[in-house]
Amino acid sequence: MKALDIKDLEKRYPTGVEALRGVSLEVEEGELFGLLGPNGAGKSTLIHCTTGLAQPTGGSIAVFGHDAIDNYAEARQAVGLAPQEANIDWFLTAEETLDYHAGYFGMPRRERRERTKELLETFSLTEKRHERTRTLSGGMKRRLILARAVMHRPRLLILDEPTAGVDVELRLELWHYVQKINQEGTTILLTTHYLEEAEQLCDRIAFIAEGQIVAEGTSDELARRFQVPNLEDAYLALVGRKELSRSHIELEPEVSS
Amino acid sequence: MSAAQIRFATLWRREVNRFMKIKKQTLGAPLLETFLYISVFGAALGSRIDMLHGIDYVVFVIPGLIMMAWSTNAFSNNSSSILQQKFQGAIQDQLSSPASPAELLLAFSLGGFMRGLIVAVLTFIASALLVDLPVDHVLVLIPSLFLVGFFFSQLGVLIGVRAEQFDDVAFAQTFVLTPLIFLGGVFYSAALLPQPYETLTHFNPIYYMINLVRYGFVGYTEVSIALSLLALTAATAALFLINLRLFSKGYRLRA
Repeated sequence: MKALDIKDLEKRYPTGVEALRGVSLEVEEGELFGLLGPNGAGKSTLIHCTTGLAQPTGGSIAVFGHDAIDNYAEARQAVGLAPQEANIDWFLTAEETLDYHAGYFGMPRRERRERTKELLETFSLTEKRHERTRTLSGGMKRRLILARAVMHRPRLLILDEPTAGVDVELRLELWHYVQKINQEGTTILLTTHYLEEAEQLCDRIAFIAEGQIVAEGTSDELARRFQVPNLEDAYLALVGRKELSRSHIELEPEVSS
Repeated sequence: MSAAQIRFATLWRREVNRFMKIKKQTLGAPLLETFLYISVFGAALGSRIDMLHGIDYVVFVIPGLIMMAWSTNAFSNNSSSILQQKFQGAIQDQLSSPASPAELLLAFSLGGFMRGLIVAVLTFIASALLVDLPVDHVLVLIPSLFLVGFFFSQLGVLIGVRAEQFDDVAFAQTFVLTPLIFLGGVFYSAALLPQPYETLTHFNPIYYMINLVRYGFVGYTEVSIALSLLALTAATAALFLINLRLFSKGYRLRA
């Protein structure tokens, strides 16, 4: 079954900017799918259209067969979103943030309490559970956002640059968690600027540029398609910056003074 | 409880929790303000005015103060709550949930409604302890107060959704709402105003709301109660439908 089925998706903002120009994308259930592209390529817009934060101007989105516009309640119930920005409420504590989120998704009180406890423990936030979110460090906020995204046990988890600006230790922690829940059956759509992250984690990857999917496949398939040795070089070829390739730089003779 | 009931209860609880966490500002300050109005206009000024239309001046003023407490708190709670959540991006958590536009709108509305209700009830209790406050027409008073509360809750939601900066909310409150309330006859009877001020007051919608509430308490009115109730019901329903359309379209909420 397709976890995400996007067909000819278009998004034109009232300013006239065309953020998505006929994007079609399929993510199979259980996949860990990477979406790569430069800033402004349309990654976040695509995610916002899928989660109801933006309204498409054309095309269709289905989440586990539920139309994201006509059957938005069923579609959104199946999706968990960890956005790029720390969009947490300053008035709430870490515990309340998780509890309210689960409530929005209709989870009964006892289940909410148990799930909150479990996730606070998993993300090393138990000691901070009564603290208001604005007092948390950047890393803790990032953990809380991921905990909130999985709180209602979504079948499709969307991670929009989840490791941007976090230290190596936390990045590895998040990777392990993402891989674990993927193995347990959660489908994952990941956007990232860290190519080694995509290469190591993702089953398949799509490149998006100027609001269009320009290539799709496994890391090796993409490298072959661009006739380069690895994913990073394929990406550089996509954005027209082949001169930045590590192999290219390593081959250049040292300049002596 | 069904999933939908849990969802709505949580959305509503979150709004109430927000103002309860800062109750010195959201409940304490309005109560002090109302107490000061009663002291200044009731006790100090009232000792000189004594009676108005056969009613003790303090008693004449208090219904308007209760209405003012409910309306301004309902308005400011909802407008600032929505704008604050938009500003933080935290509103995305509610917007990306399965909640329908109607559920979201009602939950946001009822947050301010509850805050207004609490301040109004506390004002009523405090006033009843200070003076002998009658309740002559409870069947007019209760629907009038509820409609006023719901109307200003909706207005707060509308301004909060439209606002792009805190200045927009402050402008609506300071330059539109407060003058309309003060000039609507909270502290005086419009019937005693010279022309053209008396006639001008009849164009102020809040004048009718104050008369409805005052009639409920002390049985005095300068307008038709039935017509005012009908107009207030229509205005509240219209505002609700406008807001529902905005929420359904995602106006300034969804990109």
